[in-house]
Formats: sequence, C-alpha cells, structure tokens
Amino acid sequence: MFESFQHLITGFGIALTIHNLFYCLMGAIIGTLVGVLPGLGPIAGIALLIPATYNLNATSAIIMLAGIYYGAMYGGSTTSILLNVPGETASVITCIDGYQMAQRGRAGPALATCAIGSFIAGSIAILGLVFLAPPLAEAALAFGPPEYFSLMVFGFIVLCNVTGSSLIKSLMMAVIGLIIGTIGLDPVTGVARFTFNSMSLLSGIEFVAVAIGLFGIGEVLANVEKPLEFLEGTVLVPRLRELYPTLQDFKKSIGPILRGTGIGFGVGLVPGPAPVIATYSSYMVERKISRNPGEFGKGAIEGVAGPESANNSACQSAFIPLFVLGIPFAPPTAILLGALLIHGVSPGPLMIGQHPALFWGVIASMYIGNFILLILNLPFVPLFANILRIPKKVLLPLVILFCITGMYTVNNSVFDIWMMLLFGGIGFLIRKLDYEGAPLLLALVLGPKLEVAFRQSLMISHGDFRIFLDRSISMGFLLATLLFLLIPVFRIILKSAGKGGGPTGSIGGNKG
Amino acid sequence: MSRDEVIGGTLAFFFGAAAAYFSLKMPIGTFRAAGSGLFPLGLGILLMGLSLVLLIKVYVQAKATREKTTPSEVPRSAKQVILFVSAITVATLLFKPLGYPLVSFLLLFALLRILGMRRWVYSLSLSLLTATGVYFLFVLWLQIPLPKGWIGL
Repeated sequence: MFESFQHLITGFGIALTIHNLFYCLMGAIIGTLVGVLPGLGPIAGIALLIPATYNLNATSAIIMLAGIYYGAMYGGSTTSILLNVPGETASVITCIDGYQMAQRGRAGPALATCAIGSFIAGSIAILGLVFLAPPLAEAALAFGPPEYFSLMVFGFIVLCNVTGSSLIKSLMMAVIGLIIGTIGLDPVTGVARFTFNSMSLLSGIEFVAVAIGLFGIGEVLANVEKPLEFLEGTVLVPRLRELYPTLQDFKKSIGPILRGTGIGFGVGLVPGPAPVIATYSSYMVERKISRNPGEFGKGAIEGVAGPESANNSACQSAFIPLFVLGIPFAPPTAILLGALLIHGVSPGPLMIGQHPALFWGVIASMYIGNFILLILNLPFVPLFANILRIPKKVLLPLVILFCITGMYTVNNSVFDIWMMLLFGGIGFLIRKLDYEGAPLLLALVLGPKLEVAFRQSLMISHGDFRIFLDRSISMGFLLATLLFLLIPVFRIILKSAGKGGGPTGSIGGNKG
Repeated sequence: MSRDEVIGGTLAFFFGAAAAYFSLKMPIGTFRAAGSGLFPLGLGILLMGLSLVLLIKVYVQAKATREKTTPSEVPRSAKQVILFVSAITVATLLFKPLGYPLVSFLLLFALLRILGMRRWVYSLSLSLLTATGVYFLFVLWLQIPLPKGWIGL
C-alpha cells in the first residue's frame, strides 16, 4: 500500500510536467465539448482524436484520450439539464430531475451539484484505482488462456444483457463484430481470411473506421433524417451568479454523492456499459431510501447528485479491467485499448511493471483532470451552454468534415474513409432497425484476443473442451455467464405468470 | 416494427451464411489444431442460429398479438439523407484529385445547402471561413499531410 502511494507521487511528477498538463487540459476541454454536443459521444470523440496523438509519447497520448472520456461524462450532464437531451447515454437519468430543476429556475445548482459530485466521486474512485489495481494485477497473473476466454465470454453476455431492447439482437451484433474481427491475417497461422485479394484488408478492418462510422456518421445521418425544424432547439443559459448551490442543497447531496461513488466504483469493475448501469442503479437506490420519494421526477437534487457521481466513479474504475487484464468491458475503454496498442503498449497484468511511468502518470493525470474539469465546469458552464446554440445544420456538416479528416489521417488512406462511410451506413441502418452498436464494437476489438485464447486453450487440452470447466476461475466465469443468460428467461416466466401466460414484448434488460 | 425485425433478422442470417460459406473454403483443422476457418465458421453458424431464433420469436409474437401498427412519431426525410450521403460520397471520390482544402470547402457548402441554409451568401461565407479554419488547424498547425490536389495548397 505504501509502495502504491510512492508510485502515485512519482505519477504526479510525470503528470504535472507542462507538456502533460497541457494534454490533460486539452483532453478535458475536448471531452467536455464532445459531451456537450449531442450526437458526438466519447467513443467517436476519442476515435477522432487518436490520429492527433501519433506524434506524442504513449503517456501524453493516453492522458489526453482518457481526459476526453471522463470529460465527456461531465459535459454530458450539461445538455441533460439545460436541454433535456442527454449528451451521451450515461446522462439519460440526469435528464429526469436535472431538467425539472432547470424548469424551476434551478439549473445553476443542478449543474454545480453535478460538477462537485463528479469531482468528489472521481477523486475517491482514483484512490480505489491506486490501491486495487496492483494487487488485482498480481492475481490476474494466474489467468491463462481458458480464464481469459471465459472472462471475455462473460463480458459479452453481460454487455449484451444490459444494452439495447433485446438480448438476442445484442448477441447478434456481438457475433457480427466477432466475424468482422476475423477479417485479415489469422493471428495464429497467418492465413488471409475474408480479404478477397484486397491488400487493404490484409491488416484487418481499421477499428477507428468502425467506431467513427457507427457512432459518428451513423448518428449524424440519423439526425439528418429528421425534418429541418427538429434540428433546432431552445437553450436555457444560466447566469453565473445563479450557479452556486445553497448549504441546504449541499447537505441533501452529500449522501447521494458518496453512495453513488460506491455504486459506480463497483459497477465499473464488472463488464457492461458501466456508467449507464451505475447511473440507473444509483437513481433507484436514492429513490428507494429517500424520505420524499414523491419528489423524484419533479426536480429532486438527490436524483442529480447520486447518478452523476456514480457515472464518474464508474468511468474511473472501468480503467481497472483495462489496465490490469487488458480487457475493456465497454466501448470507450475498448477504444482506449486500441489507442494503447497503436502506441506499442499492451495492457495486462504486466503493464504496471513494464510501463510504470504510463500507468501512474495516467492515474495521477486523472486526478488533475478531475480538478481541471471542476474549474472548467463551474464558471464556464454558461460558455459551454452557448455552444449548444450553434444550429445543428451548421454542426452536422462540421462533424462530417472532422470525421473524414480524422479518418484519413489514421493511415493516410482513402480506403479507410470508404470503410468509415460503409460502417456509417450500417450504423444508420442498425439505429433504424433498433439494434445496438456497442456490442459490435467491443467484439471487434476483443475478437482476435478471444479467438487466440480459445485456440490456445484447446491446444493445451489437446482439443478437450473440459479445460474451460476444470479450471476453477474459468468455471466461475462460465457459471456467472449462464446465470446472466438465464435472468431474461426467468423474467419472462415471472412476467407471463403474473399476466396469466401472455407472451412478453422483449427479452433483455433495461434500455441502455 | 415487426417488418423491421424481419428485415434485420434476414440480413443477419445471410451475413452469417456468407461467413460460414467462405470459412468452409479455408482450412478447418480439428479442435486440437484449429485451422483458420474454424472460428469464423462457428461464428457464422451461431449468427444464423440467433437470427433464426429472432425470426421465430417475431413470427410467434405477431401471431399472438396481431400486428399493431404504430405511426412514426417524427416524419422522416429519406431524400435529405440520400442527398447528404451522395455529397459525402462525391467528396470522398474527389478527395485526392481536388485536394483537401477545395474538397472541404465544397463539401461544407453542399451539406449546408442540403440541410436548408437558403441564403447563398451565408452558406458560401460560412463554408469558406470554416474550411480555412480547418485548413489552418490540420495542415498548418498540426502538420497533418493531407492531399494537396491540383490547387497545390
């Protein structure tokens, strides 16, 4: 524990250099912007900025990209409160009470509570990251290919269970992602697969093209489809002096903030779109234990403080599986894994020992980033809110231009732009058909790892599938997977029993 | 809704079938020493199975509840999307021959017009200003090598 503390101080030394501070600030500002602008979430934001980090060292690059991720979480709440439009999916819950507070002229305290809650949650979660990651990395050294395979299967099933309207449809997207992930050279034998004699496909489908296509272009096209009058909206811009919460507000919020931090931290450690589940769970808990549950939905500050803190805390703890196991459990961390690989860093149990400057530098930068975001978000909220006044008909063409430029710079290749456009079309189509892009993207990034783990396991066991059950950690993950698969079935049985045997609308979890 | 489900399920089924078909042309090997086709073959079959489950579920539900047609809450403009995508496609085709600065200006101008910016002066000046700003940002400041095209900028 003392050792971790020492390393953290070294990390602060790295993060506090002028160079890294600049990139942390850039990440925080870009992240807030990305979060504020509806239609441009953290996934497309990080993917777009990856090419801009090519000339940087890995530490500065990840400091900036991580800043975009947690910065977007701060920014996302601004649009939820002022516009009733969530900037990204994790802010959906904040809309409920945040917008109601804004309607009652209390937008300022709502925004300030978000920023303060996020800061407290982020700071506590980073401490958890510091002290939990090293021992977990040591434990993860016991993981062999069967454990990694079962863990990844578990991750997919949990993610599919909680995203979208239907488990089957999310699973289909994950399998499509896995198939797309097999395009290119076979990681074990080097045979070309599904390349159809194209040289450009030999290195596989560029995941940045899929990310920008599905989440950037797809979202823009979905917006373009709406009639022109839907592209405009009215924005409430609070004045600076209205921003500060009263002592009463603070007293009401501190409990939800601390509980939200705990819930978020726990949820971030397990597979799934952590911020979404964390905000949802925190809201439910706060409503359940509140003395005035009737206030919820009508502008209760607890309904803003809890979920926003949970959101930020989950966002920070989601870095633990990424750094310690090398396995991202949600698309934003999957994109960060891609960025780490591009910079020659392979996350996993050995990363803390092999790249201590990067690991501790990035963690310390998150703390600094949280502080920067607090400063950015309190006095500059009116400024960010004004950005929302840019009409969408101006914003959407600009997003397209940024997507094309960003995509070209990845490999200086027009082929990648075509790929991005193809996935943009797919992204548009899956939105129309009510599918989710998140499982596809995660499967694309994890696919090659999953296949290698699967084939290595079978090589070790001479083709015997019992290897996945004979090893206790692997069996534990598979049992948990089975449990998650059975939850929707139980839900259907319970529902139909309650209704007297009628069929149910959808299987799957809450809307992501 | 149900029609969308059928379209989605059918498309996914054929995607899975294509993946399985092309995987069979690769070495399959055994479980002990898997060839490069085994994993995608398994995935193709799995996707076909999942799509079938979805299609059966949709069929059973449609029979049980009788199709409920819910009118779309927002009117959609397919023409706008087609024009928008066409403009991006043409811009990508001209990306190398015309060069980045010119293509970015033309693309912005076209997209602004498609999205309903009626005044020529506004859309021209806005696209010129933005394209210049983006050129300064990417080419001059970030020094990203973007195609110069025949205008040579």
